[in-house]
Amino acid sequence: MRPRRWVSVLVCAAAASAAVTACGSGGASQTADGRTELTIATFNEFGYEGLFSEYEAAHPDIKITQRKTGQGGPHHQNLFTKLGAGSGLADVEAVEEGYLSQVMAKASQFNDLKEIGPKDLSTNRWLDWKTAAATTRDGKLIGYGTDIGPLAMCYRKDLFDKAGLPSDPEAVKALFATWESYFAAGEQFTARSGGVAWFDNAAQIFNAMHNQHEVGYFDKSDNLVVETNPDIRKDWDAVTSAVAKGQSAKLVAFSPEWNTGFKTGAFATKTCPSWMLGVIESQAGPENKGKWAVTDAFPDGGGNWGGSYLTVPRQGKNTTKAAELAAWLTAPEQQIKAFQAKGTFPSQVDALKSPALLEQTNPYFGDVKAGALFAAQAGKVAAAQYKGPADGQLQENVFSPALQSVEQGKNAGEAWLTAVEGAEKAAK
Amino acid sequence: MTVVLTPVDRGRAEEARPRPPRRHRLSALDTKVSPYLFVAPFFVLFAAIGLFPLLYTAYVSLFDWELGADDPAFIGVENYTTLVGDEQFWNALFNTFSIFVLSSGPQIIIAVLLAALLNANLRARTAWRMGVLLPYVASLVALTIIFGTLFGPQYGLVNEVLTAVGIGPVDWQADTFGSHLAIASMVNWRWTGYNALIVLAAMQAIPREVHEAALVDGAGALRRFFSITLPMLRPTIIFVVVTSTIGGLQIFTEPKLFDPSGGSGGGAENQYQTVVLYLYQSAFQSFDLGYASAIAWVLFLVVIVIAGLNFLLTRRLASTSSEVRR
Amino acid sequence: MTRRPSFTVYGLLAAFVLGSAFPFYWSFLVASRDNSALTGDFTLVPGGNFLRNASRVVDTIPFWKALGNSIIVSGTVTISVVLLSSLAGFAFAKLRFRGRGALLLFVIATLAVPTQLGIIPLYMAMAEFGWAGELEAVIVPNLVTAFGVFWMRQYLVDAVPDELVEAARMDGCSLWRVFWHVGLPAARPAAAMLGVFTFMQSWNDFLWPLVVLNADNPTIQVALEKLQSGYYVDYSLVLAGTTLATIPVLLVFIVLGRQIVAGIMQGAVKG
Repeated sequence: MRPRRWVSVLVCAAAASAAVTACGSGGASQTADGRTELTIATFNEFGYEGLFSEYEAAHPDIKITQRKTGQGGPHHQNLFTKLGAGSGLADVEAVEEGYLSQVMAKASQFNDLKEIGPKDLSTNRWLDWKTAAATTRDGKLIGYGTDIGPLAMCYRKDLFDKAGLPSDPEAVKALFATWESYFAAGEQFTARSGGVAWFDNAAQIFNAMHNQHEVGYFDKSDNLVVETNPDIRKDWDAVTSAVAKGQSAKLVAFSPEWNTGFKTGAFATKTCPSWMLGVIESQAGPENKGKWAVTDAFPDGGGNWGGSYLTVPRQGKNTTKAAELAAWLTAPEQQIKAFQAKGTFPSQVDALKSPALLEQTNPYFGDVKAGALFAAQAGKVAAAQYKGPADGQLQENVFSPALQSVEQGKNAGEAWLTAVEGAEKAAK
Repeated sequence: MTVVLTPVDRGRAEEARPRPPRRHRLSALDTKVSPYLFVAPFFVLFAAIGLFPLLYTAYVSLFDWELGADDPAFIGVENYTTLVGDEQFWNALFNTFSIFVLSSGPQIIIAVLLAALLNANLRARTAWRMGVLLPYVASLVALTIIFGTLFGPQYGLVNEVLTAVGIGPVDWQADTFGSHLAIASMVNWRWTGYNALIVLAAMQAIPREVHEAALVDGAGALRRFFSITLPMLRPTIIFVVVTSTIGGLQIFTEPKLFDPSGGSGGGAENQYQTVVLYLYQSAFQSFDLGYASAIAWVLFLVVIVIAGLNFLLTRRLASTSSEVRR
Repeated sequence: MTRRPSFTVYGLLAAFVLGSAFPFYWSFLVASRDNSALTGDFTLVPGGNFLRNASRVVDTIPFWKALGNSIIVSGTVTISVVLLSSLAGFAFAKLRFRGRGALLLFVIATLAVPTQLGIIPLYMAMAEFGWAGELEAVIVPNLVTAFGVFWMRQYLVDAVPDELVEAARMDGCSLWRVFWHVGLPAARPAAAMLGVFTFMQSWNDFLWPLVVLNADNPTIQVALEKLQSGYYVDYSLVLAGTTLATIPVLLVFIVLGRQIVAGIMQGAVKG
């Protein structure tokens, strides 16, 4: 047989051609027929699929390509990789609220939408706190709000009944008036529940409490104030003492055991953003239908968990057109359609008044008017807390694990010291 | 399954010896250059693609380089000096070694034994082989749920069994040793079959005659395994030891899957955070790319040293037994 | 060798395989029922929903396109890795050249580099080459692996007798012919094994293809990930997808798995 070196030739050729193309890269963002291609990267379900063709019909010079990732984790990993690499991001990138502080810390990589967005667009379109969270200290708007996750309280009616607590959606509101009343009710409940816990895990409660304060882990000049902010220590003590009294089911959120906990009824209450109703229905299953209820109350006011923004990274080539698209998608008319398509709860003031939203009911939760209920809860959210650059990290990698360690049996005082130390390291 | 080319060819080689070797120019060139051409693809590809990331991380490790930052500050070896004093790093290194010891040793021993079983004249051989390799193809989604369910501290199946036999439940998440044990069993489950097949491929290359000769000499199955099979597997065992040392010290997927929060912290108090998890957390959660790069380089050195030691150790152990053979 | 092994051997193997196969069976179980199979009463009997879930998978994501892409990517990578690794492994094992030991050590040392950070510079390189979004970006970096070279070297060092190589050289064979007629046939069992591993690894690769490929041109794992969108995951759908995606891998194993034995006999005949 003849020596066949095509393999090595091929590889050498590949390397050589690589060297050549290296000189002239820079992908064109024009399609063959001369339209401008805009890419938009989303994750989960934004409910935008039907809207793109509508936009293309109104703008014949635009072609939209959606890059959709299933879960938030990989989406944001991709986002940060390309931020680090300096290229490859979509023209419009979705950012989830939980990752927002990390993105805000890199605000210089994103366009100020006040500058490049449509001039006639007023930020009054969104709830104040939604916009405030995406506005930098020097007033730049990094993202247009898409959806939100206003918090209400979900609870097990049957378990409340058994423990002798009121279970009617109106009557339970007194239990959920303040965190103090919440933990007091928890104490009453666990005394008679026969081992059933009051809430799923400490971090879920702590984060909700923490986010209600005007000042959180950082003050407005980005100084870490974990030790000097009395609110944080107060929340910590309240939650850890509830853990000590057996109020926590100690189930890490979104773990397999947490899912099982819904099914077996391991806890009686759940801090409940709008999207949590679907989670509960899916995890608790049809056999628990009618046991769960939701009420338009949340201790000490309101809160938000989840929801996203559309940003326009500086890497993009058609930033003005991208901002225009993002502005259009986040208009109330469009967000209502997205809500109808995939149930994303809108962050726009007008969308929250839409009949389509207000009349929505949820059969699993006893036909409660869920749309109206969560719209009311969205109005109860106080001003957005100022988030420092490491805020998301402090919540996910410092305080949540520290609280988990208390649930695993660590002394709360020691765990506090670990958390403070971890916070200092993270903020460095 | 007869393998042997050796006797025939050996004869040919001896026959050829007196003949004067042909020394064409072309042949000389072939002898000189061809070996380099054979190994060239790897090095060319490495130079074209693999080298840049390596140099890039080395460069970045000398900066206070935040991911996506505009102008990182040069800080020399400060990332490395910080690392030396970083308790979390030493904790991660300890965890890595602990999980590595709990997994690699048993894994290689079971892999060799399993390979011996698979080397028997089985019915439906391919099916059995495929069977042991299945964990390697299992989807990570399925693994996360299954191992989360098995080792769940509260509703886990393993704890139910342990309680039933009177040992009592173990908090697989909170307990350092418990978590290492759980992760090691995950590692062993995923990789034993894989290593067994590697060993099996090498076992198949052992000439039948060697076994048959020993059989004639009256050597028992066990004796044949230890004094024939094992020594002849020396290069493969070295391969398995070196690659599983390298892989074991870079362990990442299993401890990440094991964290129910899906993060890279490796437990509430980093009970099972490995070095690569810490590296990953530094890069993609703290965005401290400079520091993460320093971790990567230090880990690289640690892996090289340990793999080197294991290589020497294995070679010595294997060569003493092969001397016995000869 | 006609003697069949005892029942003990079969029993041990069966126990091992059962443990190994469980997650697969369980994936299929959930895929054939619905989400409640996860948390509800555990049962070992599959339900009747598999085909329905499978067709939902095919409707939800660009399944066939992703499958085609994955076959192209994994197929190319596998063929290339097996050939190039055998070639280099053969040189390292059986040929004498200056710097052999050092070069081999270098190959092994590259295995020890943690890859997790490489994703950022690698993306920069691919963007520079103009390959971002193209299949080249997932193929080219994997065309030959240190693992493969090291493995083939270790296998060939004993599997091919030096005398055989020398004899072939005496007969005037070029080194390439020696490799092709002596090295490669002898390498077949190991090459088949390497092929199986490489194909599986390439097939299951997720993060790099996710980052570097465009969403409209994904590999199968990237496409499957989209099944997990939503605040709660429909596991019956997700696991139906992963079950479907495993079938090609098992086919590759069946084809290559036979080579592990057949290769030796053919090598013996040809040699």
